[in-house]
Amino acid sequence: MSELLRVEHLTKHFPVEQGELLPHVGKSVQAVDDVSFAVEEGETLGLVGESGCGKSTTGRCIIRLIEPTDGRILFQGEDIRRFKGRELKAFRREAQFIFQDPYASLNPRMTIGEIVSEPLVIHKIATHTERLNRVKEYLEIVGLNPEHINRYPHEFSGGQRQRIGIARALMLNPKLIICDEPVSALDVSIQAQVLNLLGELQDEFGLTYVFIAHDLSVVQHISDRIAVMYLGKLMELSDWKSLYTAPYHPYSQSLLSAVPVPDPVKQRARKRIILQGDVPSPIDPPSGCRFHTRCPIAKDICSQQVPELREVAPGHLAACHFAAPNPIEVEALPDPVVRHMV
Amino acid sequence: MSGELLRVDDLKMYFYTRDGVVKAVDGVSYTLNKGETLGVVGESGSGKSVTALTMMRLVPMPPGKVESGDVFFKGESILSMKEDKIRAIRGDRIAMIFQDPMTSLNPVYRIGHQLAEPLVIHKGMSWKDAEARAVELLEMVGIPNPASRARDYPHQFSGGMRQRAMIAMALACDPDILIADEPTTALDVTIQAQIIELMQELQERTGTAIIMITHDLGVVADVANNVMVMYAGRPVEYGTTEQVFYNPRHPYTWGLMDSLPRQDLTKKGALSPIDGQPPSLVDVPTGCAFHPRCPYAKDVCKTRNPELVMLEKGHSSACLFAGDSDFVRKSAVSTGRSE
Repeated sequence: MSELLRVEHLTKHFPVEQGELLPHVGKSVQAVDDVSFAVEEGETLGLVGESGCGKSTTGRCIIRLIEPTDGRILFQGEDIRRFKGRELKAFRREAQFIFQDPYASLNPRMTIGEIVSEPLVIHKIATHTERLNRVKEYLEIVGLNPEHINRYPHEFSGGQRQRIGIARALMLNPKLIICDEPVSALDVSIQAQVLNLLGELQDEFGLTYVFIAHDLSVVQHISDRIAVMYLGKLMELSDWKSLYTAPYHPYSQSLLSAVPVPDPVKQRARKRIILQGDVPSPIDPPSGCRFHTRCPIAKDICSQQVPELREVAPGHLAACHFAAPNPIEVEALPDPVVRHMV
Repeated sequence: MSGELLRVDDLKMYFYTRDGVVKAVDGVSYTLNKGETLGVVGESGSGKSVTALTMMRLVPMPPGKVESGDVFFKGESILSMKEDKIRAIRGDRIAMIFQDPMTSLNPVYRIGHQLAEPLVIHKGMSWKDAEARAVELLEMVGIPNPASRARDYPHQFSGGMRQRAMIAMALACDPDILIADEPTTALDVTIQAQIIELMQELQERTGTAIIMITHDLGVVADVANNVMVMYAGRPVEYGTTEQVFYNPRHPYTWGLMDSLPRQDLTKKGALSPIDGQPPSLVDVPTGCAFHPRCPYAKDVCKTRNPELVMLEKGHSSACLFAGDSDFVRKSAVSTGRSE
């Protein structure tokens, strides 16, 4: 496997206007601050965190939907921030985006055929008939009826719309797809269908995913490696298994313990680490470690010194002065058994 | 636990729309006792919220129409109560928390004023006393600087704080029943954990019965004594939390549980989703509403509408085959309990 994407010291600050009488740009929202990670070809990197942690901003910076303030984004070794004109357009074919809201991300006045073929039109690929055939082929791949090509988005359910968004993202044979909360608007049974579809497509087309979500179970299910973010900072980065069985960062630990598991006996026996208070404002983030205001093990140094993201175990990075593993019992599962049919 | 607080009896709420009759709630029955928590689980459009709104008499009629059934609060029929009587109960004896704390708080009134309002209306307090009580309530739900925060407007609160304020408002009059409609869905997990813990604490202190409407089986596993699983407006399974989680007896419940990615289990690989999508409530399939998506469906399922049948004490399922001893789910998910 080779490296497809490398993000180095990515920083995005949004300036905020202040003052009611004389508006001026003063402070800024530090949405993403010095975030670095790499994604291998064919793997899925999960970006997880609560609202306002900067995971979506990171995703949008990666494909230059928004311009980063600082840092480098290397796609196949080339800095995409330097891309202009033709280069940028070529890059856009390689990297696609699946949006969270299946209702807002499809133009209600376009038919499904127009929506899904638009990438081909923009990039001037193929003739009209070829495009049509290709749209039908991809609708079929994502599990929709190709005959619905002339229907409008409102005629589809949420899960089907998300499939339309996926088909649109696939049209240009991209290498990288940023999935921004692709299943969070869907019901559980539909969510599982879309997750399975994303898995199948990855195998079939050799896709690389950056999968952004707040649902830890979903992220665990789909990701090879996972990055945990908090208030614009990367807190922990490791392969999914060591993160879920032995998280090092107190934030990851409390995040994992906060998700209720659907098993009453187990859930009621679990120790929850309840964090106090809310996430502080990213306009004026806490000094030192940004998590120190809510951290159950914070000491003096945490408010003074920013902890570096360091290797705490092979391939396992954590940004905490006092990083220590907190083993979580995870039950191994027997192989799925074929259901008994009556 | 003693004393039946609420009894829902074969409730049917239909909506008469231009597109046809929407059978939003189609035969729901259950009882709720003092201090108990009932989890109502189902996907969107399964009728879980409309059931709650109906018992609060908050469904606009028309287009809504109660086709049959009734809801009894302490033995008295809610659906045939006079308007002023239900207004005395609503917000006082039965309170509700909604999913979206932004749209359920009034943006042009201060938080303290909104919290005081039920006290003035139901308890006859003066505005001054009620607003002082509102500050105490905010403190009780863990809002820092409650006195100054009471003078804030909803937009100055974060999502978690707004939901806390909603809970404070719902609990202001010490209700007998708290209906929580997806109270944590819009919140982050660490805030969800805070809110759930808060609700549990308050329940222990006040003995309020809770109806927890959610799609999150994890939340139900955490808080509920009893669980009702709904599909297409009908209850498909009802039982204690243990019964429903460890011995589910309806293929839809099986499907729901197998659809969930589980962070507490190491299995990777494909999930087993339920095929297809939930039916339109205008055009509910004949027979068992779940049959087009059910991997076990037989011909009889297309024609016969299964009743909720008691299988053992407290546990019932609306599947024609639920009683068969060889009708078992070999699940991919272990039960976490040694049998």
